[in-house]
Amino acid sequence: MPVVSLPYKYLERLCGTDRKTIIEHLPMIGSDIERILEEQVDVEFFPSRVDLYSTEGVARAMRGFLGLETGEEIYPVSPSSISFTVDPNLKEVRPYIGSAVIRDVHLDNEAIISLMGVQEALHWVVGRGRAKVAIGVHDLDKVTPPFRYYGAPVSRSFVPLDFDREMTLAEIMEEHPKGRDYAHIVKDKPVMPLIEDANGNVLSFPPIINGELTRVTEASRNLLLDVTGTDERAVMTALKVLCTTLITAGGKCESVSINGVIMPDLSPETREVKVSSCNKLLGTSLSAEEMAEILRKMRFGAEKSGDNSVSIRIPCYRADIMHEWDVYEDVAIGAGFGSLNAALPTTFAAGCEHPIMKHASAIRDICCGLGYLEVMPFTLSNEDVMYTRMQRNPDPNALRVLHPISEEQTLVRTDLLPLLLDLLRMNKRRELPQRIFHTGDVVLEMQTYQKLALASTHPGADFSEAYATTDALMRELGISYTPRESSDPAFIHGRSADIMVDGKKVGVFGEIHPGVLNGFDIDQPAMGIELDLHLIF
Amino acid sequence: MQLTLNEKRLLLELVKCGTTTPEEMGVILDRPADSVVQYGGLLSQKDLATVERNVTTTLSLTEEGTRYLSEGLPERQLYNSFGDSSSMADLNKHPHAKIGLGWMKRLGWVKIESGNVIKTGDASLSSLEIHVKNLDNAPADIKKELIKRGLATEEESVRYVISITELGQKLAAAGIDLSEETGTLTADQISSGAWKDLTLRRYDINKHPRPVWPGKIHPYQRMIDEMRRILLDMGFTELHGSIVQGAFWNFDALFQPQDHPAREMQDTFHLAGKQDLPEGWEKVRDMHETGGNTSSTGWGGKWDPEKAKATVLRTHTTSLSIQHLAAHPKPPVKAFCIGRVYRREAIDPTHLPEFEQLEGIVMDDNVTFRNLLGFLKEFYTRMGFESVRFRPGYFPYTEPSVEPEVYIEELGWVELGGAGIFREEVTAPWGITCPVLAWGLGVSRVAMLRMGLTDLRQLYQSDIDWVRQMPTHGGRC
Repeated sequence: MPVVSLPYKYLERLCGTDRKTIIEHLPMIGSDIERILEEQVDVEFFPSRVDLYSTEGVARAMRGFLGLETGEEIYPVSPSSISFTVDPNLKEVRPYIGSAVIRDVHLDNEAIISLMGVQEALHWVVGRGRAKVAIGVHDLDKVTPPFRYYGAPVSRSFVPLDFDREMTLAEIMEEHPKGRDYAHIVKDKPVMPLIEDANGNVLSFPPIINGELTRVTEASRNLLLDVTGTDERAVMTALKVLCTTLITAGGKCESVSINGVIMPDLSPETREVKVSSCNKLLGTSLSAEEMAEILRKMRFGAEKSGDNSVSIRIPCYRADIMHEWDVYEDVAIGAGFGSLNAALPTTFAAGCEHPIMKHASAIRDICCGLGYLEVMPFTLSNEDVMYTRMQRNPDPNALRVLHPISEEQTLVRTDLLPLLLDLLRMNKRRELPQRIFHTGDVVLEMQTYQKLALASTHPGADFSEAYATTDALMRELGISYTPRESSDPAFIHGRSADIMVDGKKVGVFGEIHPGVLNGFDIDQPAMGIELDLHLIF
Repeated sequence: MQLTLNEKRLLLELVKCGTTTPEEMGVILDRPADSVVQYGGLLSQKDLATVERNVTTTLSLTEEGTRYLSEGLPERQLYNSFGDSSSMADLNKHPHAKIGLGWMKRLGWVKIESGNVIKTGDASLSSLEIHVKNLDNAPADIKKELIKRGLATEEESVRYVISITELGQKLAAAGIDLSEETGTLTADQISSGAWKDLTLRRYDINKHPRPVWPGKIHPYQRMIDEMRRILLDMGFTELHGSIVQGAFWNFDALFQPQDHPAREMQDTFHLAGKQDLPEGWEKVRDMHETGGNTSSTGWGGKWDPEKAKATVLRTHTTSLSIQHLAAHPKPPVKAFCIGRVYRREAIDPTHLPEFEQLEGIVMDDNVTFRNLLGFLKEFYTRMGFESVRFRPGYFPYTEPSVEPEVYIEELGWVELGGAGIFREEVTAPWGITCPVLAWGLGVSRVAMLRMGLTDLRQLYQSDIDWVRQMPTHGGRC
């Protein structure tokens, strides 16, 4: 989740209240406070609430939540003569573009930082790292409409932001820091998306970089927004969030015509919601008036439209409202989770342990009775521990992860005994004897099974101990078995046996082979037992 | 004051002589000298005697050194093996050529000219040769040289002197009973009644016993079992399922958009192989694209069935909950699962690629968000957290969503998981018409708080001593 920095002075000015009150209520409108600093508070908001990724957006929500200003904000859009044409060649490249003009802004440094912050957050959350949506903000007075959004060759050049020389698009993708970060999104396309003015000045090479020409400064008074992308709905969401943020910051919005379509549409969506459905979901007994009042606190337009219905206007920046329940959640947040009177569900049912867990409990009892200490090793392991050090052949059915994060974790364990020996290695300085066991999941051929393993190390650990322990274990499990000479290379030949139940091999026990002990760097003799639980239960 | 018979006997002898050595006293008491040192040690713990430990080092010749005593040091042997001069090649045939030549040169006995070794005429006894015969008077540097050449070794010898103290004198003067004491009772002594005439030796309770380590259940598993007990007591059915899941159940059925970053290779362990989509998958597709037959708009865009066929290590056990619901769409359902989940994270003290999650659902006609809060509060209270509060949360598959937090003295409010009511987009494809309360709580986080751990790895790569020391009951766990 992106972290948004909220400078106190700007925040206090926009909210009309003090920082203490704001910080106290921030978690309750849906944020995680990351850190409280001298001049600002850093918070994480949920990816669903992109409208809160700016100081302006937080202030808008906070004023409502605190009851300082409720109901919807109105976002007037005046017409302008500014237009864009869109090149059909971009259809397979980056087809959608949204735009708007914001006039009469007086952006101070804090407002510019806030604007860059919301832009960055939108790039990540809505834009999926600019692939789906990318945003440009320009000083409108530096360029001449009409504009065109078209597919340019990589040889086209302009001065990109933060550089003082012309570069071709190809050079930008290789040399500019933003080019290196985002070139992968467009570099294989037949043409590059580019926005130019009437005189051929480049405003932007989306999704990579703007031109230096239209850089926004504190002196900029009129802004042009461009939002390009591959998903129309996401493009419009980002545009609406940006426009409303800038209007809250004091700007006046004017529309832009894109191939004849006038935008942005900042009008709210209207819905009727049922009071009874809301009460049924939340467990509340709110009246239509109460529900409408709470929703106004959450900055919806809302009026009672019947005993059981509220007519609401959903602000255009609330892209997260997909379903009625999304509205009801805002009712719960507005009312305060603390005021909902938490009460246990009355649903009756009889508790029921899973059979696998029942077996595991019994096994733990038996092993503890035999003096064994339980350990809980990782389920992710590697070829070296699982097979090489065990002197066993790699199991072709082991589940290997496609992109392991380290050499230590390349596959899901197929056996438990190797992990016990690895733990004995880690504990070789601890007092002997050490007797440990583990029961848990292994995966073979995509299927999850349960196994049990025990290991013991001390100067007297030998086949007899392994045999006696196995015998006690099987007796306590109530399963009769016969031993059969084993050829498992992890054990000393002639000092190991397969555990046979109804003619089927269900496990193995014996004295660990000294080569295996060397492999695990264990100094004392050791014995081990492993049992396939799914073959006996 | 309790003394063993041996301590008493030693004390009484000390009264006679005041000071003694273990060797002398060993003869008198008919015990090995080191046993006498031990008895003396026990008396000294009670301030009845003192044991003085004197360490002296003595130099003695090694086997090799002794041999050279008669044969001469290697350099002397080599020197004597040739006339006024010898070619290097001839000299090299001598068994001591290697070591001898160096020393002859160093001592100035020979010089080397154009491949020949020529005697200088001066081969007086070296200081090593002198002192090898008289080790005790050798200066320190010569001793060092002898040790270095392996001709002599230094040995430490420890000598003890045992003396009686004033307190010992007083105690002995007060009289000491020397009758035999019995240590271990035998079966014979018990059945014959002979025990009646025995003095049973008393043990010193101030002496700590040898530690005995019982077999036991891992502290983390005990906590997991405690959570299981709470849920079983509340009437929940336990689930258990496969670690390997199709992306369909792990993500798509939970209304996770297909371009959600958490689905990517970077955050999730992907596996080779595809899993077939279950019957009814089209309804899930419709939910994503348009919201299906609900009031939802869906995510829009195209939903790709191939993406849903990918196989992953489960990133949450919610994939088991939704499959359980799809199989049991009629109310009531109360189910839970504590199982391992996987995230592609590098190992550090607070992040692991695998950890436990506690997952649960309640599905019934009239359950509400209030009931969800009620359950969470009850659960954490039973786990011993007194203050619980609720904060708004966000998860793609629940609405409303909530993050429960508990208050910890030094840490403030700590978030311990997420919960919510399954979205209609999640439940509708399976014909579920009742609300489903759902939660996924961090188990290892609670373990860290309860056991005071700073490193999560302690749970999985346990120090055996830590497991041995953690009390099974009471204490912090």
